Amino acid sequence: MWCGPLELVHRPAWPGPGQLGQKVSSQTTALLRNPWRKEKPASARPVLEIYSASGVPLASLLWKSGPVVSLGWSAEEELLCVQEDGVVLVYGLHGDFRRHFSMGNVGGPGGWGKGMESGTLSLPQPTTPLSRRCSRTGFWMPGSSILSLVLGWLSSQEPTASPSVPTWVTSNSAGCQRCQVSPDTPGAAFTAHRCAFCPWDHQRQKLWALGSLRWSFSTTIGLQSAPSCWTTVCQDRVAHILLAVGPDLYLLDHAACSAVTPPGLAPGVSSFLQMAVSFTYRHLALFTDTGYIWMGTASLKEKLCEFNCNIRAPPKQMVWCSRPRSKERAVVVAWERRLMVVGDAPESIQFVLDEDSYLVPELDGVRIFSRSTHEFLHEVPVASEEIFKIASMAPGALLLEAQKEYEKESQKADEYLREIQELGQLPQAVQQCIEAAGHEHWPDMQKSLLRAASFGKCFLDRFPPDSFVRMCQDLRVLNAVRDYHIGIPLTYSQYKQLTIQVLLDRLVLRRLYPLAIQICEYLRLPEVQGVSRILAHWACYKVQQKDVSDEDVARAINQKLGDTPGVSYSDIAARAYGCGRTELAIKLLEYEPRSGEQVPLLLKMKRSKLALSKAIESGDTDLVFTVLLHLKNELNRGDFFMTLRNQPMALSLYRQFCKHQELETLKDLYNQDDNHQELGSFHIRASYAAEERIEGRVAALQTAADAFYKAKNEFAAKATEDQMRLLRLQRRLEDELGGRFLDLSLHDTVTTLILSGQNKRAEQLARDFRIPDKRLWWLKLTALADLEDWEELEKFSKSKKSPIGYLPFVEICMKQHNKYEAKKYASRVGPEQKVKALLLVGDVAQAADVAIEHRNEAEMSLVLSHCTGATDGATADKIQRARAQAQKK
Amino acid sequence: MAFPHRPDAPELPDFSMLKRLARDQLIYLLEQLPGKKDLFIEADLMSPLDRIANVSILKQHEVDKLYKVENKPALSSSLVNADKMAGRTRKYKVIFSPQKFYACEMVLEEEGVYGDVSCDEWAFSLLPLDVDLLSMELPEFFRDYFLEGDQRWINTLAQALHLLSTLYGPFPNCYGIGRCAKMSYELWKRLEEEEDGETKGRRPEIGQIFLLDRDVDFVTALCSQVVYEGLVDDTFRIKCGSVDFGPEVTSSDKSLKVLLNAEDKVFNEIRNEHFSNVFSFLSQKARNLQAQYDRRRGMDIKQMKNFVSQELKGLKQEHRLLSLHIGACESIMKKKTKQDFQELIKTEHALLEGFNIRESTSYIEEHIDRQVSPIESLRLMCLLSITENGLIPKDYRSLKTQYLQSYGPEHLLTFSNLRRAGLLTEQAPGDTLTAVESKVSKLVTDKAAGKITDAFSSLAKRSNFRAISKKLNLIPRVDGEYDLKVPRDMAYVFSGAYVPLSCRIIEQVLERRGWQGLDEVVRLLNCSELAFTDMTKDDKASSESLRLILVVFLGGCTFSEISALRFLGREKGYRFIFLTTAVTNSARLMEAMSEVKA
Repeated sequence: MWCGPLELVHRPAWPGPGQLGQKVSSQTTALLRNPWRKEKPASARPVLEIYSASGVPLASLLWKSGPVVSLGWSAEEELLCVQEDGVVLVYGLHGDFRRHFSMGNVGGPGGWGKGMESGTLSLPQPTTPLSRRCSRTGFWMPGSSILSLVLGWLSSQEPTASPSVPTWVTSNSAGCQRCQVSPDTPGAAFTAHRCAFCPWDHQRQKLWALGSLRWSFSTTIGLQSAPSCWTTVCQDRVAHILLAVGPDLYLLDHAACSAVTPPGLAPGVSSFLQMAVSFTYRHLALFTDTGYIWMGTASLKEKLCEFNCNIRAPPKQMVWCSRPRSKERAVVVAWERRLMVVGDAPESIQFVLDEDSYLVPELDGVRIFSRSTHEFLHEVPVASEEIFKIASMAPGALLLEAQKEYEKESQKADEYLREIQELGQLPQAVQQCIEAAGHEHWPDMQKSLLRAASFGKCFLDRFPPDSFVRMCQDLRVLNAVRDYHIGIPLTYSQYKQLTIQVLLDRLVLRRLYPLAIQICEYLRLPEVQGVSRILAHWACYKVQQKDVSDEDVARAINQKLGDTPGVSYSDIAARAYGCGRTELAIKLLEYEPRSGEQVPLLLKMKRSKLALSKAIESGDTDLVFTVLLHLKNELNRGDFFMTLRNQPMALSLYRQFCKHQELETLKDLYNQDDNHQELGSFHIRASYAAEERIEGRVAALQTAADAFYKAKNEFAAKATEDQMRLLRLQRRLEDELGGRFLDLSLHDTVTTLILSGQNKRAEQLARDFRIPDKRLWWLKLTALADLEDWEELEKFSKSKKSPIGYLPFVEICMKQHNKYEAKKYASRVGPEQKVKALLLVGDVAQAADVAIEHRNEAEMSLVLSHCTGATDGATADKIQRARAQAQKK
Repeated sequence: MAFPHRPDAPELPDFSMLKRLARDQLIYLLEQLPGKKDLFIEADLMSPLDRIANVSILKQHEVDKLYKVENKPALSSSLVNADKMAGRTRKYKVIFSPQKFYACEMVLEEEGVYGDVSCDEWAFSLLPLDVDLLSMELPEFFRDYFLEGDQRWINTLAQALHLLSTLYGPFPNCYGIGRCAKMSYELWKRLEEEEDGETKGRRPEIGQIFLLDRDVDFVTALCSQVVYEGLVDDTFRIKCGSVDFGPEVTSSDKSLKVLLNAEDKVFNEIRNEHFSNVFSFLSQKARNLQAQYDRRRGMDIKQMKNFVSQELKGLKQEHRLLSLHIGACESIMKKKTKQDFQELIKTEHALLEGFNIRESTSYIEEHIDRQVSPIESLRLMCLLSITENGLIPKDYRSLKTQYLQSYGPEHLLTFSNLRRAGLLTEQAPGDTLTAVESKVSKLVTDKAAGKITDAFSSLAKRSNFRAISKKLNLIPRVDGEYDLKVPRDMAYVFSGAYVPLSCRIIEQVLERRGWQGLDEVVRLLNCSELAFTDMTKDDKASSESLRLILVVFLGGCTFSEISALRFLGREKGYRFIFLTTAVTNSARLMEAMSEVKA
């Protein structure tokens, strides 16, 4: 069953007659809202006008560029205008110029699309939200008999809900051109002339020639005249071209050209006048010069049905009209004043067209635009058919009836209800009513169906309410956007296919922010996906309003957005900067809570110093570093260092970097700051890390000493000077005595001298460097013991009174296991350490005596702990006795 | 001997998940370069890597050869450039752990290999060394932050805290002290805000978290450790939770690498003990073991079968461990029970108590003169400086001179480092405390100055150890001998002479649930603006979770501190979890500050 053209829209105010559908293909983008765009390439300056689907003018602008050969809408609702010279201009919905790119200038005769047949630019279908399906378009240019160019229409695959941007792919040719798209593969273009195989990256707008591929249609086909019609078909994700020349059909792909014959084609065909591929790319329809229509699969393997309409005049347009899962396949053919729907039936349905009309095939029907109307032709959905068929006894129909009777307070309501319940079909009845409501366009009808459903639900125990609730919500949304002020006349199936996210995007594109927000709030979408996102879009639009002052815009945005989660002020600021409003951008950035986010934009806007302080605030050292390097290149060295000076955190970071990578810079940094202390340290480090020659090292030390003086660090300066002296001396020692002296500490130098028997020199050195006595004694003691020069040691011990006592002598001798020598010194140990010394040499008995004599408890315990075995038994007793005695006292 | 926890002490969370996460991420990174590959590992990363994924796991993922990289910088570039010269083409991947810095890319770019290598980050920042100890294995943190004022690692730290709170959080109560603690905390909170955590609905497991900067308490870290685990660390150096026992310990000719953690039953019982108890404990244990072995005598066949199949293995294992630890003890005794060590400890205690300063100073001087150990001498000097609020100018000069004469002039830089870090300073005549303070507060009120870390380079941080010690009663007054077998307070970790300052602060704050009443201490610590408390309003935290406490040491913690807090936990029914940038000790701190010739 087919529904006649259904007038959907408020009477549109299209422009006057004669302007429509003449030379230019005037069309609308499909499922969503359909802005009409038309253009008059008349005399001097054509006007480009854009309308909404309900005929509300959206934009009108004077066409100042070259002659346009074709127009089309992309899935992102951008208007692509193809010029003769291959340049494509992209406009927004509101006539705002976005960008342009070139498909390459056509070197062949006539340029791009010259002599293009009417309507050969089939519009890209922005219907499928996920762009699984391809969009396609094409050019055909007769003029020479060589068919050579295939233009690819790329669909960029974005798995997001936002509509993807179809992209043009093109290449050069001498002859005919053709745009086409393959669903998933990158677009490919071939030419006979240059035979370049080119993937085309739309975003970057580059054309890469991958290789050469010699391939000419003219020879293989022997094309004498222009093809009468052609289209692109897709099979297994590969795009082909189906081409009709006279009675023959050819299928072209990138490598071959083969003649094909549709199965079951009626004889007597001498030419194909039209061909149409269904929205799903599954079906193909051919219109022949005998008025015969062949319908089959796009693979040309199977015929579905045929129809003979007996009209030999070439139709103006032929499109498929079917629902995705429906068995009712039908093709709509349009002539000047006649519209015919043909399908798998002997009869056709005919309509009269009052005005010039243009057909747009869509997911579940065909839109028919004329100067004053916008209608939608579609198959009646099953649920609606069941309910509204005359004398229908379907459960849904009965339920609707029952509800009507109930409202009239008639007992018939009960009868109908019983009838349904007896068959146990009440759930189906409710479901049918809900479904049918979805497909209704008139709120009254929707309401009565939903009321019936709700009525039926009351008699059901466990009917899940969500389908009913969801339908009510969906219908409210749909009714809202179908309003002619909005002008997005979506059908229920289209809406479902599109998803709410895409619908919101489209509302945003139309700058219908309040409605979008209301929908979000109504559907209770999460803020981040819903309201915040829309507010952010609004703010981005707001910053483009050049007539409002920066303060007002910033304030307005902040008032609306506040601290809404998920809104990135830096993104909005970036947009403001993109519009050339740097001051506004900075003001907006102030609202950005995450300072890290502010930095990249600030850098871009050349507010590096501000960026630096923000980066520091963020605590992210990497960010600080990024800014630092930026600053380093941007400023001269002095300014750079000055900036650092005020930012200690950045300074220490940079210092760390310099320490590892750029030592010289580090020095400059210290110099700049007059940091003489650090400068001194720097040179000290250099003196043993960087310099190898002794002169260099001394020089470095001298610089260091100077710096230390400047830093008023006398101690360090003196120490450094001592080191210089020592270095020189060590050098001399090496020259005179051989061996290694360099880099030894003063202590070690003296030790080495003693060990090599240079006592005189050692003493001299000790005097020169004022080594304290204590150290010298320790040093000498250790060195002589190491040499086991006991004689010298004894002499030394007697040279004068030891400043370190004599216990160390005992210890060191014992360390070398020389008990004999140790005993010598033990006797000289002072009284307070005597016990220790005696114990060290193993004279427990004498130690005990001394301890007892001292009456020192601790010493006695110490001796006691050294008493071992039988030999010391007597001593132990002695101590115990002494202790007892002491305690008595 | 090892004290059991109170029965109501909360259970520790299972941190092995962290290991699994790190391993999975590493494997993922390895698999991104399919086929055979060689792996170059920086030496510092070897041990942590081994704890995460051993060689067999690496082999499973087609790692062919492993190389240890000794000298840090620019290895990858020289490798790549060498290959380029030789005309070889290979794929290169540089994995940065725990974080890739922008500067890394810069260096690669400068070396001209940026385009040849792919860079990745192995966000491996938390290594569970033990059931209650997480380490970031970032020993460089201490020097980088506390000396160079480099804040790079703060981000890493915040990320690690964030990871912990996503896995084990939320943490309703937070306390902290120190500039670094404050900054890390703020950064961490910002991360939480940005990523609306799923932790919101969860019940907190770990009720309290405490962040503490190392520079709040240098004293504790500078003391010689006398608790077994600390002593093992001081003597043999525990590296990444395991230690290499040399031949003198294993009583064979081989060294042995031993994991030291709670799984080692013997170690677990003695790790927190004062060393004087350890030996007697071990011999008791040995006797018990022998008794268990001896039970065999009277067994019939069936019992014997049981014994062999069930107990013998455990006994043998215990036997092995026991002999190892006895060996370690002997080795430590040999080194430490000498006169020298006792004198050293005596001096340390005198410094802590503030007695006989003159004597201690000359002890230190002698220590330097005799070239006993450069690190030890330095440590004693620092201890003297901090406890005495800086050295008097005369000592400052003479000790430095002696040190330079003993160990070489490059230590001029070491002293400059120590001064900058506030570890070894000079008492400035006339520069009264209040003047310093007013300077500090002036700087801190300025918002930007809150971030200044270089502040302490211009005004050396002053310690008021003596006053703090009095306020917090750090030196316990004991009548008679302190019984180390039955410790009464945390001072036992330092033979009863000193309660670790860091641990005392933590104890006090937890008791008061905030910093109230500690104003004076905080002021004396020069942290007036840097102590914070953040308690969640609606306190869903159960009393059990409140007793599970995460303590974060920024700049490292010592085993003594861990032992002290474990003791505190047992006393009060808390369980502590430790998160540290690295386990440290006095020697490591000093080495980090030292300048040595390359």
